[in-house]
Amino acid sequence: MQSCRLSLLVPAFLAAILATAGCTAPAAGGGPQPQLLDQSNSDPYESANRAVFGFNNAFYHHVMFPVARAYRTALPPPIRQSLHDFLRNLNGPDIFANDLLQGQPTLAVTTFGRLVINTTFGFGGLVDVASLTGIPYHPNDFGITLATWGVYSGPYLIVPVLGPANPRQLVGQVADSFADPGDYIASQHQYLWVAVVRNVVAGVDTLSRNVDSLEDIEKTSLDYYATIRSLYWQRLAAEIRHETSSLPNPAPVSGGD
Amino acid sequence: MIRRPVLPAVLIVAALLVPAWPHGAAAQDAQAFIRHLGNEAIEVLGPGVPQEQRLARFRALFHADFDVPEIARFVLGRYWRIATPQERQEFMHLFQEYIVRAYSARLGQYSGEPFRVAGARQDGDETVVSSQIVEQGGQAVAIDWYVTETAAGYKITDVYVGGVSMAVTERDEFASVIQRSGGIAGLIAQLRQKLAAG
Repeated sequence: MQSCRLSLLVPAFLAAILATAGCTAPAAGGGPQPQLLDQSNSDPYESANRAVFGFNNAFYHHVMFPVARAYRTALPPPIRQSLHDFLRNLNGPDIFANDLLQGQPTLAVTTFGRLVINTTFGFGGLVDVASLTGIPYHPNDFGITLATWGVYSGPYLIVPVLGPANPRQLVGQVADSFADPGDYIASQHQYLWVAVVRNVVAGVDTLSRNVDSLEDIEKTSLDYYATIRSLYWQRLAAEIRHETSSLPNPAPVSGGD
Repeated sequence: MIRRPVLPAVLIVAALLVPAWPHGAAAQDAQAFIRHLGNEAIEVLGPGVPQEQRLARFRALFHADFDVPEIARFVLGRYWRIATPQERQEFMHLFQEYIVRAYSARLGQYSGEPFRVAGARQDGDETVVSSQIVEQGGQAVAIDWYVTETAAGYKITDVYVGGVSMAVTERDEFASVIQRSGGIAGLIAQLRQKLAAG
C-alpha cells in the first residue's frame, strides 16, 4: 500500500523541489545562506494561525500535557532515557542520509559512528554510549536539506495538533517518513502500526521533556504565540546552521526528535 | 621505566592545549567572568531555593551582570527611536522586572547540573563565551554568552541557549505586542498589567 503511494509521490515531490530550487538564486561564493531566505517573522496567515494555536493550546492542556505527565509518572527516568535514546538511534539512518545530502562529511561520519556504537555497545540503541564518550547527537531532516539547497521555507503555519511548521519542513517530514528504513520495512510487512506507535511515542517523549518549559513560557510571556513563533524560527535557523548539537526542542514541532 | 615518558607526554599535551587557548587577555577575563557567574548562578538559583528568594537573587544578578540599558534598546528595536524619554524610562524599568520573572524559572531548570566554560571567540567588539551544561544522560546544552566590556566592568548583552537568543526572542515578542496593541503605550500597559498580576 505504502509503496504505491511512494511511487506516485516521489516524482511529483522531486518535480516540486526542482521547480522551487530553480526559483531561488544561489548566493555567489560561500554557498547559499538559507536562513537569510527565511522571513523570520513574516506571518501572512497570522489570524488563522492564532485561531489554530488557540485550539492546539486547549488540546495540549486538556489531552497532551496530561498524557505527557502520565508518561513521566508511569516510567522511571532510566527507562524513559533508554526509550528516548532508542528512538533517537532509530533516526540515525535518516540523519546520516541527510548529512550526506547536505555535503557534511564530518557530521555524516559522526552519525554513522553513533549508529554503529549505540546499536552494538548500546544494546540496540537503548544506551547512548556515543554521547557519553563525547560523540554528540545532532538533529537533521530533509526539511533542513531542502533549506541547505536554497529552498524557501514558505509561510509560518500552525498545523492542528502538531503545532508550528512551514511547508518546507512538512514536505521534508513526508520525505523522511518514506525514506526511513524502519518505517519502510514495517509498512512493507503489514506492520504499519509499529511505525505509528513509534512516532506517537516519540511525540509523547518530546512533549514530556518540554511540557514544563512550555507551560512556563505561556505563564510568563506577554504574547505566547509570538514567543513560540520566534523560538521556532530561531531554532530552525540554528539547526540549518548545525549549531544546536544536542538540545531540548523549544516547541513541539512533531514527533521528529 | 614508567617514569621517563611522563615529561615528554606533559609537554606534548601542553603544546596541544596552547593553540586552543583563546587569544588575548580580554577573552580570558570574559571567560573567567562567565565561569564565576555560572557557578554563582547554579548556587543561588538551585532547585532547593524558595521562589521568592530565587527571584530576589536573580534580580540582583541581572542588575549587576547584564547591560540592561543596551538590552532594552535592542529589544525595542526600531520603536526605541520613536519612544518618548518617559516611555523609554518606564519601559526600561518594567522590562527588567519582566525579564527577571520570566527567566528565573526558565534558567532555574538548568541549575544543579554541572556548568563548564568551553571557550571564547570575538564577534565585533563583543566576546562570545561558550559554555555547556551537561544534563543527565550525557546530553549537552550549549549556552553562549555575549559579553561586552563597559566602564563598570564586564556586562552580558545576550544569552543564546541552543542557538536561541534571549534578546531576539523578546524583541520579536514585544514587536508583536506593539503592533497588536497599537504602540509603545500598549506594550507598557500590558507589561504593567502582567507584573501586577504576579
